Amino acid sequence: MEELLKINRRNFIKAGGIASASFALSLNSLDAFANGRLQKLTILHTNDVHSRIEPFPMDGSRNEGLGGTARRSALIKRIRAEQENVLLLDAGDIFQGTPYFNKFGGELEIKLMSQMQYDATTLGNHDFDNGVEGFYKQLPYANFPVLIANYDLSNTALSKSTQPFKIFKKAGLKIGVFGLGIQLKGLVDPKNYGETQYLDPITKANETAAILKNDYKCDLVICLSHLGYKYRSDAVSDQVLAKSTRNIDLIIGGHTHTFMDVPEDVKNLDGQITTINQVGFAGINLGRIDYYFEAYKDKKMNIGTPYLINNKLDG
Amino acid sequence: MVTKNKIYFLAASLLFLGSCTAKYAVVKSNREEYKISNDVQVDSTIIKTYMPYKVKVDAEMNTVIGYSDVVLTKSSTVPESVLGNFFADAVFHQAKKMEPAIDFVFPTTKGGLRNDIAKGPINVSNIFELMPFENQLVLFNLKGEDVLKVVNYIAISNGQPVSGLKFNIKEKSPEQIIINGKPFDVTKNYWVLTSDYIASGGDDAVGFATPISRKNIGLLVRDALLREVKQVQAEGKSINAKLDGRITKN
Repeated sequence: MEELLKINRRNFIKAGGIASASFALSLNSLDAFANGRLQKLTILHTNDVHSRIEPFPMDGSRNEGLGGTARRSALIKRIRAEQENVLLLDAGDIFQGTPYFNKFGGELEIKLMSQMQYDATTLGNHDFDNGVEGFYKQLPYANFPVLIANYDLSNTALSKSTQPFKIFKKAGLKIGVFGLGIQLKGLVDPKNYGETQYLDPITKANETAAILKNDYKCDLVICLSHLGYKYRSDAVSDQVLAKSTRNIDLIIGGHTHTFMDVPEDVKNLDGQITTINQVGFAGINLGRIDYYFEAYKDKKMNIGTPYLINNKLDG
Repeated sequence: MVTKNKIYFLAASLLFLGSCTAKYAVVKSNREEYKISNDVQVDSTIIKTYMPYKVKVDAEMNTVIGYSDVVLTKSSTVPESVLGNFFADAVFHQAKKMEPAIDFVFPTTKGGLRNDIAKGPINVSNIFELMPFENQLVLFNLKGEDVLKVVNYIAISNGQPVSGLKFNIKEKSPEQIIINGKPFDVTKNYWVLTSDYIASGGDDAVGFATPISRKNIGLLVRDALLREVKQVQAEGKSINAKLDGRITKN
């Protein structure tokens, strides 16, 4: 039977992303889900929500009537009711953009994210707009962690408030999530980021992803990145990150407010797939990525081989 | 086929019972994006959370803070506009209290004037609509040659909102440049206040890349406008911006 499994896998690799008929069927097998051989994980994500509590006003502007936390929450609740294993993630720039931030300093934004049961976020440059202390002040309202692996905040008010990564356990799966922030110098007033030290994101990403994949044996590694999707200059971006690293399966991006038609799949340093996705800004969209996992025994199967990708959900 | 697969997985699951720690490999990924439009129902518990905040924000946004005797409009047949002059003068007036050395201000591009203000009462929301962005005011000490780059940019783009700067556009080039009441001297250095957006080359603006110094003065462009409207009101006056020939084209 093990031999059969191997052959099946080999056929799949040969097909180059087009699963054989039996393979596709096996993924839909309820038995396989029931006995734990297959697991499904649903990732939901936002970025650069920028204090957009209510939908954009009906004023003839491009995004009129779009977004809004009440609708996003209803959609998330619906998906949670349908799916067993859901992670809800954000890639930073929670703050700034509407008078709600100017007046309440981000308290409401964080409260609503807690109410929607976000699992994690990272730090965007605008999250420093009221200084390190301004972000710190809103943390009592957060019941989710702030993940950042490449800022050294030890000499700031946030010294005990963030962590580089978190491992989530869903069904039998271990999902490692870590965060990366953008260079703040030149982008944020120095008095607002204070003693925050920016560390090279590629180095920290490789270090952190290796810890998650090799030491903690995570089945999936996700990076919440506020680096930006891509640049004409040689500034580090999600595209640069993806091809310069190992062990990252998914980069949930932000900062550049990029509306992507479909996620981008980049070949990483190991020749494996690192997917990049970003969903515009202001909560106009909610991104969703479903991963299907198959159990394997130690050393019996090669991890990280190509897998089937669809830009639609199973019906 | 289906039956065969069932058997296959039953057998496979028996095999895996012996494994103490199951590990998983991704075999498939499906992606989807949801547009949050009015087709999506609302979660009323969320509205309940934000309603007390909304009431306060709306009340503040609707607070009248001043009065304009004229329509403040960006439409104009000359290289300056009533709205642009109001905007630049307001920023200059408020920023000078913090930085008295400023020679001239270029606080927004024409494209950054997002909405006209009607004649009559002005509320906070009107100022947010005019200037919705969170841009900071940045003070530059520029060499005369860089100032000339800035003024050239303003001339070639047929005028931009400025205060403390006066010149004529002749065939897309500036002439008779007066800064802070004195003729421009290219050998001198000048204190120029602009926004972080313009400073970083927004709307293709140039001249701020190699300053002698740059400093964030700690005032948002919008806050300067709000302060000005409130101050005029507090002095018992109203806003009466006009075209004054600061940028001409002859």
